[in-house]
Amino acid sequence: MNVLRRWLPLVGLVGPSVLVLGVLALYPVLRVLVDSFFNVDYTSGHRTFAGLANYRAVLADDNFSASFVNTLHFTVVASVSEVALGGALALLFSRAFRGRRFVMPLLILPMMLSTLVCSAIWRNWLNFSGFLNALLAVFGLPGVQWLSDPSLAIWSLILVDVWQWTPMAFLIILAGLQSIDPELYEAARTDGASEWQCLRDITLPLVVPQIVLAMLLRSIDTFKLFDKVYALTGGGPGNATQTLSTYVYDTGFRFFNVGPASAASVLMLLVSAVLVSVNVWQSIRKTRTR
Amino acid sequence: MSAATSASVCHPMGQRIMLWLLRATALILLLLPCLWMLGAAFTPTLERLDHPLALWPQAPTLQHFQTVWESGIGRQVLNSLLVSCGTTLLSLSLAFPAAYALVRLRFPARLDLVFLMLVLAVKLMPPITVAVPLFSLAKTLHLLDSEFGLMLAYQIYTLPLSIWMLLSFVREIPVDYDEAACIDGAGLFQRLVHIMLPLCAPGLGATAIFVLIAAWNEFLLALLFLSSPSRFTLPLAVAGYVTENGIDWGDLMSVGMIASLPTLAVAGYVQRYLLHGFSGGLK
Repeated sequence: MNVLRRWLPLVGLVGPSVLVLGVLALYPVLRVLVDSFFNVDYTSGHRTFAGLANYRAVLADDNFSASFVNTLHFTVVASVSEVALGGALALLFSRAFRGRRFVMPLLILPMMLSTLVCSAIWRNWLNFSGFLNALLAVFGLPGVQWLSDPSLAIWSLILVDVWQWTPMAFLIILAGLQSIDPELYEAARTDGASEWQCLRDITLPLVVPQIVLAMLLRSIDTFKLFDKVYALTGGGPGNATQTLSTYVYDTGFRFFNVGPASAASVLMLLVSAVLVSVNVWQSIRKTRTR
Repeated sequence: MSAATSASVCHPMGQRIMLWLLRATALILLLLPCLWMLGAAFTPTLERLDHPLALWPQAPTLQHFQTVWESGIGRQVLNSLLVSCGTTLLSLSLAFPAAYALVRLRFPARLDLVFLMLVLAVKLMPPITVAVPLFSLAKTLHLLDSEFGLMLAYQIYTLPLSIWMLLSFVREIPVDYDEAACIDGAGLFQRLVHIMLPLCAPGLGATAIFVLIAAWNEFLLALLFLSSPSRFTLPLAVAGYVTENGIDWGDLMSVGMIASLPTLAVAGYVQRYLLHGFSGGLK
């Protein structure tokens, strides 16, 4: 009775959230894990044990390896560029200047757009008869096949993602810059430190936590890449912009191969688990040391 | 920022001009596509063909807005409003008690840490990996092609986000208020509703904005769950136009404008509160 009265409030307050997360996330993850070892008939729901056959099929599929390589390529290049550019932006805009309050919200407009709207704009800009090629033509340059050249398409997607999400990295790093004690710079200048030395020896070391945070968040997010591929390239040309997300989507929802789709999901979860666990570990540590 | 205020005074002129040029370039690069969308929404289809680089039409027209209105975009705006408001209400009412418990109550066997890890893991995992079972589950429960089903499914994004954000706001409320209310004989429920709710109102407001934006912009689950155009949300409407053969850019951009106005309007707010969203109040 005493035990019940002690823990009842806890169950009442946290229980509903646990239930919802359990049904929406834990159950599906377990289900995917189980299904990945079975042959599942989509229409009847009938399943027979298949051992590792699904994993073998997925790993032997050229489309899957292409998706894997594309996803890693996109994740690494996009998140590194976003953090680097975001850091540069933060340095440019961290100083007080007239009109700053008005400019700051404008700088983050790209990340406020729905990814679909953002892709719609770039669908025109990257079109062969679109904005960017018209701009190149003004300078007498030939048009570029931004989306239909297999070796260029993924770089175009990276360009769109960098445009949309650099503001996020910018905001995170900016918060870091603004929490640095101004006296540090004054002291350094009194000692005759140059602008460059201040940047290298004071600013950079002090914003390392924010850079790491931005890097983790952007890499976790870029790893999920789906919407832009759907709206801009459809995975093509060929499978040049196929990603893990679109691979799972195609396998599961276009070809209804539940077993292989589950196996691919598990593999995707394993990779993202590495990224996620670093982030969870960092965040929990921060919560505990408060 | 004040650090550099004093420093920038003694910058040589050339360096300051350089700084302004760089700032202007960055601003233009980030804003130009948005401005282009605004102009394209008002550009007549033929004029777009003649002047692909023009940012503002010579003869602005409302023709595109009329076309998309007649194709039923109003319905999709309502759907988007309904889904994002419902999602937000659900998320906040689930997340607020949970965040309160995580900050104030003692959990047995460090279960609070386990729960926090679950929240973070769900927040960060790729949603496509659970899409297949989620889809079958919704099918069994007859929640496919329904706004309510989508609101429930969106909790996979918005509930972890809300809990994580509210955590940082609840932490900022001094524990004294709770203790005082406790001495006055207020029960847990009373403390939550009459003390914490008003005190956390700004935090709840900020969280609500983030959840609204997330639900308003979401695409993947909407694509999987909704099949009849009368139930589509705005991102699906945009997807319909963008994957069409022979896109009418004016129509597409006017839908884009409609879908973006609400989120663009709160950009200033987001810029101030963003860090609460993923750092748990990291300052």
